[in-house]
Amino acid sequence: MTVIDPRLQEALDGERDPATLPVGLREAYVRLLAATELLREPPAVSVADRVMAEIRSDAATSVTAPAGAARRLTQWFTRPRAVTLRLRPAWTLALAAALAALLLLPGGQAAVPGAEEGIAQFVGHFPGARSVEVVGSFNDWRRGALPLSDEDHDGIWHGAVVLPTGQHEYMFVVDGERWVADPLAGRYVDDGFGAGRQNALLIVRP
Amino acid sequence: MRDAPSDALVVAQVLGGDKEAFGIIIRRYEPGLLRFATRMLGSPDAAADAVAESLVRAYRHLAQCRDLEHLKSWLYRITGNRCRSHLGRRHTGDVPLDDAPPLADPVDTWAVLERGEQVALVERALAGLPEEKREAFVLKHIEGMSYEEMSAVTGARIPTLKMRVHRAREALLAALKELV
Repeated sequence: MTVIDPRLQEALDGERDPATLPVGLREAYVRLLAATELLREPPAVSVADRVMAEIRSDAATSVTAPAGAARRLTQWFTRPRAVTLRLRPAWTLALAAALAALLLLPGGQAAVPGAEEGIAQFVGHFPGARSVEVVGSFNDWRRGALPLSDEDHDGIWHGAVVLPTGQHEYMFVVDGERWVADPLAGRYVDDGFGAGRQNALLIVRP
Repeated sequence: MRDAPSDALVVAQVLGGDKEAFGIIIRRYEPGLLRFATRMLGSPDAAADAVAESLVRAYRHLAQCRDLEHLKSWLYRITGNRCRSHLGRRHTGDVPLDDAPPLADPVDTWAVLERGEQVALVERALAGLPEEKREAFVLKHIEGMSYEEMSAVTGARIPTLKMRVHRAREALLAALKELV
């Protein structure tokens, strides 16, 4: 392979004025730019109609909150049910009171999840955060669907949601902009977008 | 004249339930994505499939886009991944350039070659590059991205990308010398 003179690389990277190149390098500069110019022609096709047709026709592609999830959440908050706790040892004592208050419904009755559902408990330690929420595959990664709370301002944010049994990917969103994989999740999966980032993985059992 | 709505505003509309607003995103980025995919795959038809799949995937996971200021990079990253997936299903070197004209007669020069022939020759040279170098070269020289943007698209570090672009230039220049 021909090794290009570093001055030509610099000119092609915009770090050197091409007018300062020797004649031979300037010819190579022009030739390479002319070649790339040929490939810049806009494509003659469009996939816009095809994509929009698929989006319009497939109800499953809705990126708004699924009605089923909202309905299940409402049912959970309005029906007595049992509680499945997913406590993390380091914070068990500190969180016990908060979790009990959160998960016991008025009247102190225990909750009973459906046969194919479980309750996922989210806990994160984010001192100084103004807001923390959970987004995940179970709410179409929609912001605002599952805010966590920190009533006593000790930096421990918590919340719970009823979910179908199975695996769910999720992330914490701190102060509306910082995405953080739950450091205590224990399981992680690649987020699928090629930058090497991972989502936390939650397994909900009945 | 009103300014075009920002990506963040359009995404907010879509996430608010206005599916049609996604058409704005498509119109805004489709030409570049198709050009990128065409140069990666060497086939306009395969590129159209890859971009269509990428845009539908982007729509479905729109709420998962963590940085709306860099929506463009996110869309290119998804499309790059789809292209890699398409390439992975092909046999090595199975780039459909059958329509390319035969190699130019040695007495021809770049200047006298017709534009169509020039395009075919450059496409052939580009198709001969390894995938990562081809991607880096296309993003830099055809899509006009900065190395920072390229890093956001590919996940690779800037020195790595610079090295890929430099090697791609060397290979391309060498190929063009042989072809013409």
